[in-house]
Amino acid sequence: MLLKVENLTKRFGGLVAVSDVSFGIEKGEIIGIFGPNGSGKTTLLSLLAGLLPPSAGRVFWKGQDIAGARPNVIASLGVIKTFQNPQLFSELSVFEHVMIASFLAFTRIKDHSRLSSFLAPGKGEAALRARAEKALTLCRLQGASEKPAAELSYGEEKMLGVAMAMMCEPELLLLDEPASGLGNDEIQNLENVLRDLRAHGTTLCIIDHKVAFLAKFADQAIALQQGCKIAEGRPHDVLADPGVVKAYLGRSHHA
Amino acid sequence: MTQVVVGQILNGIILGSLYGIIALGVTMTFGITGIVNFALGQFMMIGAYATWYFTDLAMFPFPVAVVFAVALAAAAGLVADQALFRFTRNNLVNGLLVSIGLISVMESGALLLFTTTPKNMDIVVAGSWSLGAITLPRMKVVAFLLLVAVIGLTWLGLSRAWLGRATRAYAQNPEAAMLMGVPTKALQTGVVVYSCALAGFGGALYASLFSLEPSLGGLFILKGVEAAILAGVGNLLGALAGGVILGVTESVGSLYLPSAFRDAYGLVFLVAILLFRPAGLFGGQK
Amino acid sequence: MKALWFLIPLYLLPLLVKSDVVLTVLIFTFVLGILAIGFNIVFGGAGQLTMFHAAAFGIGSYVTFLSMLRFSIPFWLGYLVAVVVVVLISIVIGWICFKFRLKEFYFAVVTLAFAELCRLVALNWTSVTNGTLGMLVLEKPTLWLPGSGVIKIEQTVPWYFLTLVSLTGVLVFSALLMRSWIGRNFSAIRLNEDLAQTLGIDTFRYKLLAFTISNVIASFAGALYGFYTGYIEPAYLAVAQSLDAIAMVLLGGVSTILGPVAGALVLTSLPHLIELPAEMRVAVYGMILILVILLMPRGIVGLAAGLFKRRAHAS
Repeated sequence: MLLKVENLTKRFGGLVAVSDVSFGIEKGEIIGIFGPNGSGKTTLLSLLAGLLPPSAGRVFWKGQDIAGARPNVIASLGVIKTFQNPQLFSELSVFEHVMIASFLAFTRIKDHSRLSSFLAPGKGEAALRARAEKALTLCRLQGASEKPAAELSYGEEKMLGVAMAMMCEPELLLLDEPASGLGNDEIQNLENVLRDLRAHGTTLCIIDHKVAFLAKFADQAIALQQGCKIAEGRPHDVLADPGVVKAYLGRSHHA
Repeated sequence: MTQVVVGQILNGIILGSLYGIIALGVTMTFGITGIVNFALGQFMMIGAYATWYFTDLAMFPFPVAVVFAVALAAAAGLVADQALFRFTRNNLVNGLLVSIGLISVMESGALLLFTTTPKNMDIVVAGSWSLGAITLPRMKVVAFLLLVAVIGLTWLGLSRAWLGRATRAYAQNPEAAMLMGVPTKALQTGVVVYSCALAGFGGALYASLFSLEPSLGGLFILKGVEAAILAGVGNLLGALAGGVILGVTESVGSLYLPSAFRDAYGLVFLVAILLFRPAGLFGGQK
Repeated sequence: MKALWFLIPLYLLPLLVKSDVVLTVLIFTFVLGILAIGFNIVFGGAGQLTMFHAAAFGIGSYVTFLSMLRFSIPFWLGYLVAVVVVVLISIVIGWICFKFRLKEFYFAVVTLAFAELCRLVALNWTSVTNGTLGMLVLEKPTLWLPGSGVIKIEQTVPWYFLTLVSLTGVLVFSALLMRSWIGRNFSAIRLNEDLAQTLGIDTFRYKLLAFTISNVIASFAGALYGFYTGYIEPAYLAVAQSLDAIAMVLLGGVSTILGPVAGALVLTSLPHLIELPAEMRVAVYGMILILVILLMPRGIVGLAAGLFKRRAHAS
């Protein structure tokens, strides 16, 4: 089991955002997390990525408890998260974004001659640049390379987030609503990117509102409501679960 | 020996109340306009010099002089707000830098007008009270009571009066407050002006107790910021407590440790508090 | 790197200009420019507003001079001692601040507190530092040059070249730093610290690095300054000195390479161009700061760069 979550809980004062959630993710799986607004999906992902310290519970990554570890440590272990509202470095260009995101890869290929690359970009830097361009092409951003990221459309910003995540060589990619705000064309592209990632062995954990998007993708699904896990299993079964239907109250889930 | 300590504590409390009124201004400004007005010390200086001028040179009765001084400080605050702070709302770094620029301008102005020669105001309330072996100048006690009264009234106003509640609502959730019809621009300006008036009032009382130099502004704003952080920026009532704690720490510290490092004791205490209780002693945000 | 072309005329200047005043103003510009560059690395680069650089500046002067006295070593070894001291202090203070995740404003206040503490030490440790009277520095830096052997830097022209070469070195270093992966990490931290963390950047380590580098550069400026003026006093560590550097960086252009130097040039030469009584000088200074913040947030260099870009696009 790649990731094992045990009794994860997060309290903000009196509010319990995530309550005693447990589940597991196998390597190579695509797992989808459903739930109405306020069900704790984003908080759960933030907990996994280390952006929030848990109030209780444990998170085992390859057997090692990473609950409460700092985000950069968790990222270096291979767990990368994207943001629901695209997070950017204002002022910088698209290409500079993916180059910053190449840092983890940089630390992995050069563990001795990092100092020399300070004086003059070496072979390693060139390899990283090539990878950065490839990531941008995959996300259909290659034309926007020199553009200031602030000038991108919402959909492009989200894809930039995915490109940056890809640069980090993730083993587990946590995607927070990657499809929300994207047009059909862009969603198709996103699907291709995710399929490609999965083909290369990346495990994916996706939150999304678009139930249809998840239903055809995911191997496993988890449903959350008010911070609690209310159903787990194959997407089809989870969506048919009476509790889940009730939670969505009137929301249709036609595929 | 204990009487010396008690005496120092009392002095620390009174000085601390001066720190406290500046801290109150700092905390209010931060909560509503998102910046720290480092120039508040200069408005205190305006109040101090104006009081001295009106009392000793224009021969007004003290209370009248104080009113004029506070009005002057408030007016200056209005000008500063409209000309400068209006453009730096919620931009901490810019607001900081602009207020630093303002300090340079105002302190030079004071130097030009008054020179570095200390000015001493004639005693307003003479005599002192004795508690056992401790003597406290009457004026100090009067000043302390006045400061506490003003701070208390401010707190009351913020918790009871409509305007006060609107202010607190805005501090907690600006968008909601706007949607409820709270006049945000006027409110922000009002808070800046009020905090300058508070500082001016502190200055007026300072003038009645100590000698005046143009550098007093710089000294007191540092103490005011320290006190505000100590209590928790945003915590109103805590501002007074923070000031008093700072004042007492300095006074008592100077008793047992080299008094040359007086300012350092408060600083060290502050850093320690910040590290272990980053929200301040009483927690920030009203 | 293109920015360095601007320095070439400065190397040729002493051949054309013999005025001592001009050369002196430039020397101060170079030295204070170094201080400003140091501040820009931690503020314009990593986005941390620090108030400690004046303390590092002063520590650079004091420790270099005191080491020379105590251990009878030449200037550069004395400065090496100062570097060690500054690095240690920076690590301690930086560790305290960043471990406890002090945010912007609080970081500025705490570094200010530590700077004040250092100043108070310099002021009151009279047995070592001579307190408020300061210390006269009669020693001079020495250099070994091929052909001339060991020379003492005493006259204006040698000082001019020493400070200009030092400035060039610091500029090259800062340019290389900011365009390297380290500089990229600094920018990431400055622009979006949370995002930087999720991309695997250890923000604590890089903030500490930026802080330390900045202070070391500031101490270099301090050592040069103290030995040039021949006088070291506790006021070197005062808040006002930190504010001076901040003003230079803002005026010249934050996050640019040449900005701090441009700002240093303007603010250093200003008192000589406009004859003002001392009090007014400070007031004008303050007004410039205000105007720059409100009207020219990108500073002189930022403005100039913007103009050139617009012309390039238009043509």
